Amino acid sequence: MHDQNRAETDAVGAIQAAIGRHATYALAKAWRDLSPDERLTAVALAVRDQMVERYLETEARYARQDPKRLYYLSMEFLLGPSLRNNLSNLQIREVYKQALGNLGADLDAIEESEIDAALGNGGLGRLAACFLESLATLGMPGYGYGINYEYGLFKQEIDDGYQREKPDNWLAQGTPWEITRPDAACLVPVYGRIEHGVDRQGGYNPMWMDWQALIGMPSDMLIVGYGGQTVHVLRLYAARASRDFDMQIFNDGDYVKAVEQKIASETISKVLYPSDAVVAGRELRLVQEYFLVACAIRDIVRCFEQHHHSFREFPARVAVHLNDTHPALTVAELMRLLVDEKNLPWEEAWAITQATVSFTNHTLAPEALEQWSVPLLEHVLPRHLQIIYEINRRFLAQVVVAYPGDTERLRRMSLIEESTPQQVRMTHLALVGSHAINGVSALHTRLLQTALVPDFYQLWPARFHTKTNGITPRRWLLQANPGLAALICATIGDGWLTELAHLRGLEPWAADAGFQAEFRRIKRSNKEKLARIIRDSVHVIADPEALFDIQVKRIHAYKRQLLNVMHIVHAYLTLIEDGQPPPVPRTYVFAGKAAPGYWEAKQIIKLIHNVGRVINNDARARAWITVAFLPDYRVSLAEKIIPAADLSEQISTAGTEASGTSNMKFALNGALTMGTLDGATIEILEAVGAENIFIFGLTAGDVQALRTPGAYRPRDYYERDPRVKRVAEALRSSVFCPHEPDLFAWIYRAILDAHDAHVHLADLPAYLAAQDQAGAAFKDQAGWARRAILNVARIGTFSSDRTVAEYARDIWDLQRVVV
Amino acid sequence: MDIAVDKIGDVAVVRVPVEELDASNVGEFKRDMTPVLEAHTKLVFDLHRLRFTDSSGLGAFLSCLRHVNARGGDVKLCGMAPQVRAVFELVRLHRIFDIYSTPEEAVRAFAL
Repeated sequence: MHDQNRAETDAVGAIQAAIGRHATYALAKAWRDLSPDERLTAVALAVRDQMVERYLETEARYARQDPKRLYYLSMEFLLGPSLRNNLSNLQIREVYKQALGNLGADLDAIEESEIDAALGNGGLGRLAACFLESLATLGMPGYGYGINYEYGLFKQEIDDGYQREKPDNWLAQGTPWEITRPDAACLVPVYGRIEHGVDRQGGYNPMWMDWQALIGMPSDMLIVGYGGQTVHVLRLYAARASRDFDMQIFNDGDYVKAVEQKIASETISKVLYPSDAVVAGRELRLVQEYFLVACAIRDIVRCFEQHHHSFREFPARVAVHLNDTHPALTVAELMRLLVDEKNLPWEEAWAITQATVSFTNHTLAPEALEQWSVPLLEHVLPRHLQIIYEINRRFLAQVVVAYPGDTERLRRMSLIEESTPQQVRMTHLALVGSHAINGVSALHTRLLQTALVPDFYQLWPARFHTKTNGITPRRWLLQANPGLAALICATIGDGWLTELAHLRGLEPWAADAGFQAEFRRIKRSNKEKLARIIRDSVHVIADPEALFDIQVKRIHAYKRQLLNVMHIVHAYLTLIEDGQPPPVPRTYVFAGKAAPGYWEAKQIIKLIHNVGRVINNDARARAWITVAFLPDYRVSLAEKIIPAADLSEQISTAGTEASGTSNMKFALNGALTMGTLDGATIEILEAVGAENIFIFGLTAGDVQALRTPGAYRPRDYYERDPRVKRVAEALRSSVFCPHEPDLFAWIYRAILDAHDAHVHLADLPAYLAAQDQAGAAFKDQAGWARRAILNVARIGTFSSDRTVAEYARDIWDLQRVVV
Repeated sequence: MDIAVDKIGDVAVVRVPVEELDASNVGEFKRDMTPVLEAHTKLVFDLHRLRFTDSSGLGAFLSCLRHVNARGGDVKLCGMAPQVRAVFELVRLHRIFDIYSTPEEAVRAFAL
């Protein structure tokens, strides 16, 4: 004990010294003179030192064992803040707390001061971040490649209910977490033309000439797994102009033009495109995507060639995974590199490419599938277009053999869509170039196979997999909900941190009065914290006794925030017109960003604010209904909101949400789900049991049937159900827009339109009934707590550790490297 | 540009005198190479000083090759730094030029 105390004291002292050293030598100040941002930097640098040591140990281990490595390419990595995560995963948070206490500082406050690294829009980017953390936790060699956006996802401010976007200059103060690697900079050619020539053997030799050169400047962010044994790297590339612009400034007469060209080059990595929708025709986005792919593939091949001599070994040592089609140019780029630079015959290069590359699809909407026009590709990447044409020619020759005479199938499957102008179908490129394709929930994969790309499924059924998404329990429970995490550890130990299935051990405790009481106390404490945030940020008073009904995600028609608002309007009108209060008081919390160009989504944000303003200011409603919209939703805010939820809204139109991941985060934190049979919510239903979740509404099949012309008649619901009519009329009226008449009339028209793709009125009655059930159930607090605990106990399969282990086993052939 | 030309038999060995051949000096290079290309049909470019080139530099080498080919001759390259070789390979120029380690090897290749 004495030795342990002394060891702890030594550790605390060492940390104080390290922090002090960084204050002195990195910041040239004494600790006491540091600003809050500088304090964060000094602490982060001290933590980074320990991560660097573990990283070097990890790399040495890998150098000795030469394991296969996974490289995960994504245009987005929604990392969030890093300090608390790194301290927690290194299991050194307590000693840092002590050390900082001795220095007169509060670790919690320093952690709170960190700006989120928001290099992503939403689920796709956050999934990538969870996966990197799980790979490190599992000890499986996995690296990320991304873009070092100078401006991440915009900051959202609200002005009179309207979203205003502000730049997110997250790098303004620099970040202590990045290590720049100029030695690994690479040249990326773009634009130019093909010079058609003949090689020494008389064969056709296309030469890519007159390109502009970009320089990819890498910076590494260290990713530490839980336990601190394994540290990997996320390599992010920033675009720099090549030196010739600098030379032109001095040698050419046109100084301004030379500077403009330099600025244009460096624009590549300036800003994250703030939308998951297809960015049709945006040349800069295409250049961004190629920039990522070119830098990543160059770096991957460079690393491979350091220790291996034959590209025949490449698929056995390298797995490259594409997070959606954004990096799909990987297929063409790897072919270009193997054929053009390494002189491999086409067939061998193709076999290597297919065996190396795998791909995850994240969307079901055909209109969201990426395409690039042939003229644009020819302008930006002329050599890649040639390669894509050749890939297509050979692929279609295969299709002809498999389905002779079926020209319609050829047209459907071709990588080239014959529209005006022609388009390259990036999903098809990714499919053809990959040995494995997966959806992100069972339903999603089924729809992928039967509706989105059925021809490919018929041709290559074995290539299709399901890999249901998951979340890291370290960030989303251990760090976000320390009270609940401590209760779980005290009850069943801490094995769940790396084997989330161990949460099953909580099942016997679900009915235990003492456990329930503590569980409820923790939930109450989380709700009080959230209530303070709501009060401080939007001046709305939320009662922690109320049912916290929460929908936090990107604002999008398919996620149906509108349906949620319709329930709120119904509850309000039932209260003030019928004198019938809801079963229990409820606080509705919304958060999420709308893509800047997405008018309807921005109008929904305005609607939420207007409805909230009316209800929150109505004395008749104050005791029963409160509505709050928290601005600038981001990872750090999610970490505060999710643990406070009683009810989690997962109400997308069935067949539209590929998986969802906030559904898992809420359930892990003891919220019950109010959901449709969509995405991973279906699998959550199977896991937690029908009595512990509120499921309503149409299935994906039902929704599809309603898409038959004439099948969906919203006016029938309007006429048949007075509740539906009253809600629709309220939205059309000026009740929620007294100063802006007809502001929301478009909503009335949209929901009564037979072409409403999200069939709001068809699902509204069932939703209202399910909400009544939920409200009634909440009155039985012990019963609710039991069900919430069972959600926690049964959610274990939704760990990203499980997801990554499945990818590793079935797709990447990746092994754990033992320490 | 001070381009030195040595004769070894009937082969002209041209020592490219700059470390960087790019948009800023490629015009000068092409201008100063014109009389050399007119005077010889067997050329070896000695690139041992060259540390960097971009697409304009590559274009200049291709242009020289085309000029000499049109007169029934050939151009060979030698002494290429790895990073310069990488750029040649990126654009497939290594398939139309013979590339050697030393000027002597390149000159000998003309005799084969």
